Amino acid sequence: MDVVIRQAHPGADVPAYHSFDQKMGDAERYRREEGIAWPVLVDDVEGTTHQVYGGLADPTYLIDIAGRVAFYNMWTHAPTLHEALEELSQQDWRGEVKGGVHQTPHLLSSMTDGWKGLRRGWPRSFIELETSAPGMASGPWLGYQLRPLLAPLTLRSKPLPPSAKLGLAAGAAALLFLGAWSLRSRPGTDSVKERANRF
Amino acid sequence: MQNTTKKEELATQSTDAAQRFVTLKEKLNIEDYNFEHFSTKHLLSDARATIEKRGIQPGEMAPDFELRRADGGTLRLSELRGRPVLLHFGSFT
Repeated sequence: MDVVIRQAHPGADVPAYHSFDQKMGDAERYRREEGIAWPVLVDDVEGTTHQVYGGLADPTYLIDIAGRVAFYNMWTHAPTLHEALEELSQQDWRGEVKGGVHQTPHLLSSMTDGWKGLRRGWPRSFIELETSAPGMASGPWLGYQLRPLLAPLTLRSKPLPPSAKLGLAAGAAALLFLGAWSLRSRPGTDSVKERANRF
Repeated sequence: MQNTTKKEELATQSTDAAQRFVTLKEKLNIEDYNFEHFSTKHLLSDARATIEKRGIQPGEMAPDFELRRADGGTLRLSELRGRPVLLHFGSFT
């Protein structure tokens, strides 16, 4: 289920919340616009539930059948949650899984889909995020334009199979090698070692 | 020793989110929580919370709450006992 929290990137049309009705209105819009099939809950304006649960921007908890926290994914990442769910199913849906906490922010999905939220507060939301952390607003804008190309990799719900990870690693290594080779063999450019030898 | 203290601390904490909010150490007042302008301090605050693993820890009872649903009615977390639950917190923007 989703719990709607404070406005993360306010703008003229989506200002900070001053009333519960305003927050409920956005939750209804969020449910409708994103076509969400699971329950969308609305926290109070003080952020009581959100703050008790740590107050982070985009966390997901996996709770076991006894009501205990099995896994705390501090920055929601679907493939990691997929693994956590599989592990929990293998232990009869009880106990801790995957070491209990995953702290890593996975930015690839935000860079592809984050624009959907950010654009609601345009232009203020964009300017404030870009000036706070250059690339954090323009990146999602660019990623959203390239969404059809990037989505299979960045918005996947399951972990990549080992062969695909190996393929990507080999591809990255090949690119690095080609880059280094082209710099070394460019006509008229001597390697650092050759230049050093002249002295 | 530290582990024992942590366990004792967890044992005395309420399993109800609203009661737990009253004694929460890192609590923001309503104006600071609902900020009108995003800035670097919010990024740094999230980074600090991540490093400190702020939130409900694995093995702890998930604090109970009852919240209004966007499609009508209310939902209480404890009503879902007996089923695994994915609980995601997110913003409209």
